[in-house]
Amino acid sequence: MSSAPLLKVDNLTTHFHTSRGDVQAVRGVSFDVKPGEILGIVGESGSGKSITCLSVLGLLKANGEVVDGSADFEGKQLTGLSDKDLRAIRGDDIAMIFQDPMTSLNPTLTVGEQLIETIVAHKPVSRGEARKRALELFELVKIPSAASRLDNYPHEFSGGMRQRVMIAMALTCDPKLLIADEPTTALDVTIQRQILLLLKDLQEKLGMAIILITHDLGVIAEVADRILVMYGGMVMETGDVYDVFESPQHPYTTGLLDSIPDVRSHKKERLTPIPGSPPDMLRPPEGCPFAPRCPHAMQQCLEAMPPLFERPNAKPTVHEARCWLHHDDAPDSLKAIFKAPEAANG
Amino acid sequence: MMALTLFLIITLTFFLMHAIPGGPFTSEKMLAPEIEAALNAKYGLDKPIWQQYLSYLQGILTFDLGPSFKYPGVRVNDLIREGLPVTAQTGFLAMLCVVALGIPLGIVAALNQNKWQDTTIMAVATMGVAIPSYVLATIALYLFALQWNLVPTFGLDDWRGYILPVAALSGFWLSFIARLSRSSLLEVLGQDYMVTARAKGLHPQTILFKHGMRNALIPIVTVLGPVVANLLTGSFVIEQIFALPGIGRHFVLSISNRDYTTIMGITIFYAAFLMLMILIVDLLYMVLDPRIKLAEKS
Amino acid sequence: MDQHKMTIPADKWAPIDRGAQDAEFIAAPSLTYWQDVRQRLWRNRPAMASLAFIIFLILAAIFGPMMTHHTYYDQDLKLSNIPPIFEVYQTSPEDGEPQYVFLNSGNFKLYEVNEGGEILGLLRAKRKDLMKKQHIYAFGEEELRVDYSQLPATLVDGDGNPATSLGLKWNQTNWFGTDSLGRDVLVRQLYGARISLTVAFVAALVNFFIGVFYGGVAGYFGGNVDNVMMRIVEIISTIPLTLYVILMMVVFQSGFLSIIIAIGSVFWVDMARIVRGQMLSLKNQDYVAAAKTMGASTKRILTRHLLPNTMGPILVTLTLLIPSAIFIESFMSFIGLGVSVPMASWGTLTAEAVETLRAYPHQLFFPAAAISLTMFAFNFLGDGLRDALDPRLRK
Ligand SMILES: Nc1ncnc2c1ncn2[C@@H]1O[C@H](COP(=O)(O)OP(=O)(O)O)[C@@H](O)[C@H]1O
Ligand code: SF4
Ligand SMILES: [Mg+2]
Repeated sequence: MSSAPLLKVDNLTTHFHTSRGDVQAVRGVSFDVKPGEILGIVGESGSGKSITCLSVLGLLKANGEVVDGSADFEGKQLTGLSDKDLRAIRGDDIAMIFQDPMTSLNPTLTVGEQLIETIVAHKPVSRGEARKRALELFELVKIPSAASRLDNYPHEFSGGMRQRVMIAMALTCDPKLLIADEPTTALDVTIQRQILLLLKDLQEKLGMAIILITHDLGVIAEVADRILVMYGGMVMETGDVYDVFESPQHPYTTGLLDSIPDVRSHKKERLTPIPGSPPDMLRPPEGCPFAPRCPHAMQQCLEAMPPLFERPNAKPTVHEARCWLHHDDAPDSLKAIFKAPEAANG
Repeated sequence: MMALTLFLIITLTFFLMHAIPGGPFTSEKMLAPEIEAALNAKYGLDKPIWQQYLSYLQGILTFDLGPSFKYPGVRVNDLIREGLPVTAQTGFLAMLCVVALGIPLGIVAALNQNKWQDTTIMAVATMGVAIPSYVLATIALYLFALQWNLVPTFGLDDWRGYILPVAALSGFWLSFIARLSRSSLLEVLGQDYMVTARAKGLHPQTILFKHGMRNALIPIVTVLGPVVANLLTGSFVIEQIFALPGIGRHFVLSISNRDYTTIMGITIFYAAFLMLMILIVDLLYMVLDPRIKLAEKS
Repeated sequence: MDQHKMTIPADKWAPIDRGAQDAEFIAAPSLTYWQDVRQRLWRNRPAMASLAFIIFLILAAIFGPMMTHHTYYDQDLKLSNIPPIFEVYQTSPEDGEPQYVFLNSGNFKLYEVNEGGEILGLLRAKRKDLMKKQHIYAFGEEELRVDYSQLPATLVDGDGNPATSLGLKWNQTNWFGTDSLGRDVLVRQLYGARISLTVAFVAALVNFFIGVFYGGVAGYFGGNVDNVMMRIVEIISTIPLTLYVILMMVVFQSGFLSIIIAIGSVFWVDMARIVRGQMLSLKNQDYVAAAKTMGASTKRILTRHLLPNTMGPILVTLTLLIPSAIFIESFMSFIGLGVSVPMASWGTLTAEAVETLRAYPHQLFFPAAAISLTMFAFNFLGDGLRDALDPRLRK
């Protein structure tokens, strides 16, 4: 995987101006997405996953502002683009689907219309042709009796079917990048898997890249190639899914892994959730944002923000973690907390 | 449902009016008992109450609201027919103002949330909601008609005569609808499907009108029925202040004359009209919100 | 300096003292919901100003009339339609004290006042010159003429020169002036406040009880009871209620009690809906189920568990019900269906002022301002309360 990145996000910093001060939702996030890969972003709710992606597409609410950093899509600087140019990219080259299919579709328009308007906005086609395309997409995402369902309203679909509609809508213009923001969180457990497999299947068929946001590590393990662990608006750990799952290099990642049923053994019992709650992004801590909840927190963690330390990797992808424990000066007893990754074998 | 409501209104009105102690002619002291008896007989008031009720119902079925008790030879139908054009014209114009000004003002305020446009519109609208229509009407009458002679003080002989009554009549509801439109649109703008629409790369205008306004209109449309109702009752004082010969003026006059059949007749006329309006609003509502249709079907 | 490479002293690797840290966490006080609401309301300037105004108004309505010798019914036709502010003129006799007068330009009458602005009495004209449209008043040797050949009327001396003006003075006898029957406007205004506010509060309270009871019963029992009760509410809400208040007033004959009954019995539908909705959603929540399994009685569950949680929306509806009640009352009074004379509410006062609008436009000012400001205050307070209760609405 050495091809040029499709999307390159660098030091992205997003604030929300509120009456109580600035909410620092995203603090210097950098990552890239290569064509055709699935990047998983995980983190507890409020860690800045959605806002990172919305910032890239310029979809922030009026009080949000990208105060620093850049997002580069195929050589185009998205953060400096005019609204008109951004519009041409949204829904066309980059499409997005959202967490709650119940509220993400307009209740007063037929689903067919919601697809057709997207096609017509980006392609020089007639409404009739757009309708044909919409029908194809409905069949592609496996909506039963697709033809008759185009004229239905969202409330006439079940949650899973609505999410299929959302996916179909995102695929109208063959995007190069699909951002899926917690696409399965709001669905029944049985439906979650179907949607996930559908996404994976479509990705293989159409060859697009996907950013898959979730707070469920199990989902990532199943489909993603690479993973970005976010906490307090920052990247805590990033690397190949194999590396991160086999040898997590950050106490937060370890905590997340401990708090889900083991993805490998498929054990069903709930394990220990991380105690404590995420930091207040109005006044984030000066040092490591995870320090108040970290079992290994040290004096150093409170005083300075740890940088990303490069870690040994079994897979070709760089593996990095933002934790002081990886500093050269750290006593050996502490360094031993993290198991070294196994030797590279493919 | 509508018919049932209307029937209940007629019944309630009829018995309320007949619950008034003494007959309609007792208040006139000079009437000799024989004459009063004769009058009672003439208007069928000597019959048992249920018979009067049935014949009144019968009359309504043939669109006959009976005679006026105070103007000999005049029927309530005549009073309504005479006043209707004036009331309908001012009412319609006021309704037009409410919708055609109130909604756009609300949109402008919502789109410029917390900027000067919003603050100004909301300040004026808050004033409009707080100042009672008759106070507004009187002040306007004094300033524009008496002080500055810009418009006539009464009558609708030329178009300028409409300005003050229509403004006074619509003032409150214009402000109310502007406030409602603003909050409704703000609510819709915060919905997830608006982010979806933006994420699809649609034109901002399409997003605002096709996705935003269409949804924001739903709560606005639901209150339009009551708005019509209140414009009507509002017209009682407005017609009185500006001396307009509308139904409202007849109504207020009939109240001070204790002309019971007219009070009853006009109330029922209003109620029937309102039922009609609410029916229309319901139809409009179904067009706007597809979820309703399903609920009605099942 | 590159943080990867910088040296970190050994003591920094010590585990942190959790005890101290936890204390730091506890230090940030977490407010209860109601403390939070109160704080948000407190910070809302318009709402607080409104509350202050309402309290002032209530105090003025209760105690104001006690602090004056005027009554709301005492008439003095000689001193009718006196304005609150007038221009005082001085006579300049060659010997003796100067006299002070002011001209009521609405009725061309001349009144004697003292230097401070207290009214001493109506002056009688010596002669009326209907041809020249002048009323001639004598002050010893001196003459003053009210010239109404041109409006507004002016006061001139015997030679036709303008009289000596001392400038504008505030009426010290009747701060707000008098009405067409010579009654003190301020006192009537205060009594009007008493009546309007009492009617509004009592009517709102009656609506509140009916609505809470009706909605509470419907929501609590649910099922068929709820269905039937809500059907009835639906029917009532399509009826034009103002018409029914009018009809009731016609039936009951106007008066203080009738208007309270008429308004109080009609506008409870919104309240009932809100209470029912809240009740339904709260009913299914755990703590009510818990109370039930612990054997709490229906009444106890209603009063101890459900009502406190429904308080917010009820409070907002109640605050917004009061201005509507004030409005309906004044509306009724305005069309002649309110309290009976000589009692006066703001509506009657406005209606009276309208009758004399051409000659004495200022009489409209006080009742119009009183009712508008009060409506303003209750609206702001209601809005503020709603924002304070529902943090989601805040930016
Ligand atoms: N419009 C907004 N105004 C203020 N703060 C916001 C706004 N939207 C999001 N935030 C804050 O930004 C942070 C990140 O949110 P988000 O990216 O949605 O988290 P998640 O990782 O769950 O997707 C949260 O702390 C949230 O409170
Ligand atoms: S830097 Fe310190 S507090 Fe942060 S994760 Fe590492 S050990 Fe824990
Ligand atoms: Mg999110």
